[in-house]
Amino acid sequence: MENNKTQNRRKFIQNGVRLSLLLSLGTVTAAALRKVTTDDYVWQIDPFECTQCGRCATDCVMKPSAVKCVHAFALCGYCDLCGGYLKPDSINRDTAAENQLCPTAAIERRFIEEPYFEYHINEDLCIGCAKCVKGCTSFGNGSMHLQIIHDICVNCNECSIARVCPSNAIKRVKASEAYLVKGDFSRKPKA
Amino acid sequence: MNNRTINIIVWALGAVALILIIWWVQTDPTADYLVSMPGADNRGKGLAEQDVKIGENFEQFATDYTEMSETWPRFRGADFDNISKSSVKLKEKIGTPKIVWSVELGEGHSGAAIYKGLAYILDYNEEKRSDMLRCFSLADGKEMWTRGYNLNIKRNHGMSRTIPAITEDYILTMGPMCHVMCLDRKDGSLRWGLDVAKDYESEIPLWYTGQCPLIDGKTAIIVTGGKALMIAVNCETGEKIWETPNPNNWKMSHSSVLPYTFGGRKMYVYSPIGGLVGVAADGPDAGKVLWETPAWNHSVVAPSPVCMPDGKIFMTAGYGAGSMMVQLKENSGKFSIEVLTEYVPKDGLASEQQTAIYWQGHLFGIMPKDGGSMRNQLVCVDPKDPKKPVWTSGTENRFGLGPYFMADNKLFILNDDATLTIARPSTSQYIQLDQVKIIEDAHDAWAPFALANGYLLMRDSKKMVCVDLNL
Repeated sequence: MENNKTQNRRKFIQNGVRLSLLLSLGTVTAAALRKVTTDDYVWQIDPFECTQCGRCATDCVMKPSAVKCVHAFALCGYCDLCGGYLKPDSINRDTAAENQLCPTAAIERRFIEEPYFEYHINEDLCIGCAKCVKGCTSFGNGSMHLQIIHDICVNCNECSIARVCPSNAIKRVKASEAYLVKGDFSRKPKA
Repeated sequence: MNNRTINIIVWALGAVALILIIWWVQTDPTADYLVSMPGADNRGKGLAEQDVKIGENFEQFATDYTEMSETWPRFRGADFDNISKSSVKLKEKIGTPKIVWSVELGEGHSGAAIYKGLAYILDYNEEKRSDMLRCFSLADGKEMWTRGYNLNIKRNHGMSRTIPAITEDYILTMGPMCHVMCLDRKDGSLRWGLDVAKDYESEIPLWYTGQCPLIDGKTAIIVTGGKALMIAVNCETGEKIWETPNPNNWKMSHSSVLPYTFGGRKMYVYSPIGGLVGVAADGPDAGKVLWETPAWNHSVVAPSPVCMPDGKIFMTAGYGAGSMMVQLKENSGKFSIEVLTEYVPKDGLASEQQTAIYWQGHLFGIMPKDGGSMRNQLVCVDPKDPKKPVWTSGTENRFGLGPYFMADNKLFILNDDATLTIARPSTSQYIQLDQVKIIEDAHDAWAPFALANGYLLMRDSKKMVCVDLNL
């Protein structure tokens, strides 16, 4: 009789733990599903509308900005003379500070093979100033462009850079399609 | 608390403050910074030298063709001004374009030249890994023959980008890796070849050679860079006539040599990487520098100098360089150059790739992407003040990096996607006549036009078409 009581108590605790785990798992799954399936909105930059004014670096509430440069490798020309990496009329085409356009040296340039170079953005160093985007858009294929990075962005209800964006390039997009990366989407024709 | 204790505390605080000040002064707040030095990209040692036998490959496909009367014999046409003087009347409303023939090409931006019913284009054949001059019948696009050489190159925003120079007797080409080939025009037989980069230890320009070679009479004029700045070669024999020294070590640009006569002297004007120069074209001092200036010095220069009758020379370049107007002066056989104005692209007429047209005392050009509010617009300026547009094509009429030229009192403009715009040349306003898409799904239609007998040759990066513009 005493033994049965002990077993029942243990079973009760075990079942309780199982139920709690199941409930927790269910809650997490439901929350994740809800996040994926519900149409919450986040802020994002349309790279085709962006005019590289530089305000993303100065007006975001996050310091440094939640806006970073991203690189669409499929569009890149892998040029030695990269308009996004080098200052216009740079003295030399190399990695010396005086030749780099990026004020924080956030772009890493690597030689691949003649005549190609690859450019990586170091997100930790990027401040979203858009200098590289302006150079790449003006003189290259436009593969470098700005995006709001959502693990940094706090998704303000009234996005402070959207308020000052001169080209209205910052808009609300569905959280399930939170990025407008060049190459992944193309400019939709205006109705 | 007695005085001794107070003194100890004061001295202790003073000592701590002193230590803190020393620490503050000694500490380098940038100690954790990495210094960006050259070489971090591990740049390679350049392309391996190739043993190129210039002109080794020849194939003949046909011999008969329809001979015609007109020519477009080189870059910017017979008079180097990009204006056709043909009396053939051309359509100003194209409707459905009459594509007479088309041909697939290797990826690139090389343009065609036309000589009496034959069209010539230097192409890169990716399958055969060879540079080849291709000769087509202008009337029907039938391929007549090819002459070329094996060469391994990789795509680098296209692989071909020059226009042959054609005369009655000779054809002169310059390939992506600076290989010069001189052929007999009548049968395509090889006269001579020259490996400029190897022989003159010169640097192959970024994205390969853009210099269109020049034949002046029976003399080939080629900018080499490296051990010489410019050379003249006898087209008949391949012998060097003169070499211009290059003490400044100026480099070959994508610009081309333009003949110019001013102050009683004929000269070759060129914009190398490093400056702007005029080289004597004839006389006992042929090949000598008549004048030069380092004032125009930019890392990439594609447009060629525009030389005007009053001695003004307009230079422009892309990648943020902007433009410069200089005044050439002659006094007792001595030449001097004065910079009249220099400005960034947003402040006046500028161009990234194409050379401006000088017509009726005005300059016409399409602004680059960094041209501020005028970006990508066709702009007309008075050379007296290239910063002040006489007119622009407006925000609703923007173009790209494609070519533009004049013929039959019409201005033809090609957009990047091979949309052809026809406008009425005017020094007072932009007058658009027609706009029509010529090549479907086209990209990077940047090669200059060629026109003869009403047949207009144009191309995008992979296809050349012949459009019949005859009325």
